[in-house]
Amino acid sequence: MLPPTAPAPRGFSRRALLAASAGLALAATGCTSGSTGAPEVSTAETDQLAGQVAVQETVVAAYASAAAADPTLGAEVGELATQAGTQLERLRAAAPSAGPSTVSSSPSGTAPPAGADVRGWLRSQVGAAARSHADAGVDQTGARAALLGSLAAGLRGHEAALA
Amino acid sequence: MTDDGVRDEGTETTALREALAAEHAAVWGYGTVGAALTAGSRPQVSAAENAHRDVRDRLAELLQQRGDDPVPAEAGYALPFPVLSAVDAAALAVVLEDGVAAAWVRVLDQAVQSTVRRMAVDELAGAEVRAVGWRGAAVRTPVTTPFPGLPQG
Repeated sequence: MLPPTAPAPRGFSRRALLAASAGLALAATGCTSGSTGAPEVSTAETDQLAGQVAVQETVVAAYASAAAADPTLGAEVGELATQAGTQLERLRAAAPSAGPSTVSSSPSGTAPPAGADVRGWLRSQVGAAARSHADAGVDQTGARAALLGSLAAGLRGHEAALA
Repeated sequence: MTDDGVRDEGTETTALREALAAEHAAVWGYGTVGAALTAGSRPQVSAAENAHRDVRDRLAELLQQRGDDPVPAEAGYALPFPVLSAVDAAALAVVLEDGVAAAWVRVLDQAVQSTVRRMAVDELAGAEVRAVGWRGAAVRTPVTTPFPGLPQG
């Protein structure tokens, strides 16, 4: 609905809402430095991305632990857990140097304390991972920064859904 | 990402201009969202609209500091679909937030300054948190998305 004085609508301009969809295909794949002409990626950047794989593995493990501790909550957050796993897959694809998982199949050490508010514990775990991805995204460049920023935002969304 | 993978202050500024255009559209769009919702939803609308006004103003100031002319708001925008109900309004808010999120991901991809990337990650997260609420109001499931701002698939 437009104000009566507004000119005839011209459509959401490409810039206004849809512009950013262009040129993101590479970012969507979590592309790394292999592209011809792409900027060099430092060892520190590569190591940091691998480190974020471990962070995301902790999130996946936290969802598994929360579900084990509270099956009702586990059923409620099943979709969130699936999304966390999807995020992990894409992050691993973007960080081929990351070692094999040591967390996802062994969630011990990522379990809610006995008697704890499981939902609150899970939310804190997700929030901590979101902060970590966000900080790493600021330190990275290009598609890596885009991917990590998106992951961080996705987990902030999870936090909101868990509130 | 530019075709040749090169990023500089020019690519960053272009992405910031696109983000400003998206923020202008969001500010405008929330006017329509608010008009279609009940008074009970007004605080949520006002909070979102104010957040977009704030970042719009900060973006404009940043671009001016760089000697760049901030992108002005369009004279008018067309709705992507008719907004005839509260559910439609919430769905429009989702479109607005998703559009803004895509613009901020683009900034992250193109930025060369860490301060700009910090702004982008913060605003991207804010857009997704708001979108979660609006997806619920629009009766969409799931209310979350694993990759805000990135093409799905």
